[in-house]
Amino acid sequence: MLFNSYPFIFLFLPVALAGYFALGRLGNLAAVIWLALASLAFYSFSNWPFVALLLASIAFNYGIGWLLIERRLRDRTRLAVATVGIAGDLVVLGIFKYGGFLAANLNAVFSIRFTVDILLPVGISFYTFTQIAFLVDAFRGKVARYRLPHYALFVTYFPHLIAGPILHHRDMIPQFESAQAKRPDPHLILCGLIIFAIGLFKKTCLADGIQPMVSLAFGANTPSFDQAWIGALAYTFQLYFDFSGYSDMAIGISLMFGVFLPLNFNSPYQARNIIDFWRRWHMTLSQFLRDYLYVPLGGNRHGRILRYVNLMLTMALGGLWHGAAWTFVIWGVLHGAYLCINHAWNHFGPAVAPRFAPAANGAAFVLTFLSVVVAWVFFRADSLASAMYVLARMADPTQVTFGRVEMLDTGLILIYAAIAWFAPNTQAIMGYDHQNRSVGEALGAWRIRPALLYASAAVLAFGILGIQQHSEFIYFRF
Amino acid sequence: MSSRTTMNVVRLLGVSALIVLMAAALNFIVDPLQLFRPAALFPAVYSQDSRLQNAGLIRSQDFDTLFMGTSLAIHFRQSDINRVLGVKSLKLAMPGSNSHEQGFVLAAGLARGARRVIWEVDDWIFHDAPDIDQNAYLPADLYRGNASGIAGYLLSGAMARESALILARSVPEVEPVVARLSPDELTKFPISRVDDINVLGADTNVPEAYNARLAMAAFAHITNPVRSRYLAEGCDTDAMVRNFERDAVALIAQHPDVQFDIYLPPYSILQWVAMRDASPATLGIVYDFTAYLARRLTAFSNVRLFDFRAVRDVTHDLGNYGDVIHHSPAVDLKVLSWLASGDHTVDRAAPEASLAQLKAQAEAYRVEGVER
Repeated sequence: MLFNSYPFIFLFLPVALAGYFALGRLGNLAAVIWLALASLAFYSFSNWPFVALLLASIAFNYGIGWLLIERRLRDRTRLAVATVGIAGDLVVLGIFKYGGFLAANLNAVFSIRFTVDILLPVGISFYTFTQIAFLVDAFRGKVARYRLPHYALFVTYFPHLIAGPILHHRDMIPQFESAQAKRPDPHLILCGLIIFAIGLFKKTCLADGIQPMVSLAFGANTPSFDQAWIGALAYTFQLYFDFSGYSDMAIGISLMFGVFLPLNFNSPYQARNIIDFWRRWHMTLSQFLRDYLYVPLGGNRHGRILRYVNLMLTMALGGLWHGAAWTFVIWGVLHGAYLCINHAWNHFGPAVAPRFAPAANGAAFVLTFLSVVVAWVFFRADSLASAMYVLARMADPTQVTFGRVEMLDTGLILIYAAIAWFAPNTQAIMGYDHQNRSVGEALGAWRIRPALLYASAAVLAFGILGIQQHSEFIYFRF
Repeated sequence: MSSRTTMNVVRLLGVSALIVLMAAALNFIVDPLQLFRPAALFPAVYSQDSRLQNAGLIRSQDFDTLFMGTSLAIHFRQSDINRVLGVKSLKLAMPGSNSHEQGFVLAAGLARGARRVIWEVDDWIFHDAPDIDQNAYLPADLYRGNASGIAGYLLSGAMARESALILARSVPEVEPVVARLSPDELTKFPISRVDDINVLGADTNVPEAYNARLAMAAFAHITNPVRSRYLAEGCDTDAMVRNFERDAVALIAQHPDVQFDIYLPPYSILQWVAMRDASPATLGIVYDFTAYLARRLTAFSNVRLFDFRAVRDVTHDLGNYGDVIHHSPAVDLKVLSWLASGDHTVDRAAPEASLAQLKAQAEAYRVEGVER
């Protein structure tokens, strides 16, 4: 089921909210079980063949976690149990997500015809990573015992299940255990509605609106220089508004249930360097990769060279996490290289004189943005050859079309760019503070200005009016 | 604080609902697709987006004959079809369409009482394609006229914008201003006559759009080793046969009282030579599949199959083409005349005879002076 669909907005969400708060009066557990069941219903609506896999994954990880938390195992046994748990998760992810990719590469290398035809269970990357973090922390002794319904809800919680944000058990389960969240809070519901409206608008009006332009570069036709740039920039903004719109919707929906989700975006295209970009883009994935991959690999603790190696490895695997294709690996490697260059520049590069700082900042902003756009070409292309082809067209100014359509498209791209570069983001508008569990404090002080309320109503209405059939979120594929 | 906030929640939802209902009312009253009533209050307008527009045409137009196909059939004028064949036609051709789409739209048109179908059939329309309900470009529920389709139409902001433009353009005093502010590129419904949907514009320079230089350039493009693998993409005999049976044969069998005039269009000889030189396995699949198609279709008494693929006068004159397959409006008229006269009808006793001719022509043709 999609957040941007009539059945979700007009049926599923109101019923889930009503049941949650009604059962919340009976006790904490009843509401948690209701929400877990609602989440399973949400998942099974369009992914029913994979419900059993999801439940098996929960049971397996909860069982491993129970062994690590409850049983007093010797160190070696604990290590073995944790290894089995994490390896089990990775094997399942590997089979379902990378089986076909592996077979295709083996076929190419050994000229054999080995076929693996497995459908990708939606959300598997997200719920696998979430649970690996749980197992690692359980092994490190950083996890208290959780009850099964709370753990099941932590994994299945529908606002994040399909495409994140990637949740952390220490952040989420205490919120599920809290009795306070089971009582309807009009302030949180209002703020949640507004955040949901902004996310819906981003998805249905902005991301879906720019989508047709993407085919200028990545469609069947041979793009000219300007068309290739329009297509690449259109995808750059489509992906941002699509995924950040989804994340806003997830945060808004969760807020209506009284649960604060972590932020996933912080105006990433305003970044002035790649390190900054990765602190602003898909933040929960960056944090996961840092805490559970980069740091265990050694991070920056073993000298500069190994730090760069670790960065490259982390980003290459981060790329592969997005999809089983070489285009994603190259995208990750490219960002790894960007990060290495950025760190090296910070260390070896000259200091900028204060009077040149504005110009240097401007240049850094432009360079960062262009580097990100170039990397997105690999992320979007069907193959490495297609990506290289589009990049070649972007680098060939001898072929220019720039007719009336291209002029209109360029105007639209500039509007999107202005929003991404200069408009305040959702958390800034709403005063959303995940750490301190607060939102809309300033709105309360203003007693909700009527203009803001009506503007939010219009945004929600336009978001609903923008709903199209068959408009999935791009990150559903990952 | 709490009751005030609760009121604000109600107010937000109420105002949103009001805006949505106003948009729905506007769409219902203006009704750009003429789904609910023929255009009367406002001038009729039409869209080039045939997958969307067809849903409205099927409901609003008067017809006895359906005309279906891909981009190869898109430029035909309904008035030409009517004049040459003596019918009342409705053109439903959709560029880049697959057999699922074509079969689905034809079934919707037949349900409205059409007695004859003229169907331009390419082999590649039978490649595997998304199911009709997973198709992002064709609003299947709108064709079905069910609650989901009607809701999607009425609650569409994009349609409300079109409705507002149509409404504004209907006021003579503001029409010039609106027209200037919303050029054709920005509107979904820029056409005022149904006969003009997807035909070549009056300003089209036909010799410039269709000539041997363009045909040869397209040939060089598709046979370039970098791109030639696309010729084989999706070309699988089993899948093509399965889709053909499901989308074409089943439809024909379900409508024994409907006359189906199906034709295989006159691609330039370069299309076949391209496959011969750059992807011979694909050529073999296409030959085998169309042989199967010919045998299967000629077994139906309500089908007349025409094979124009080996009409040498047309297919070897590269000046007729804009690329290796798309032919000029002059050939459109020839196709209609052949359909009227019965020329190039496939003989039920020898359904593969024209294919044999084509094979010989493709084998013998030599291409010179390809510039890469």
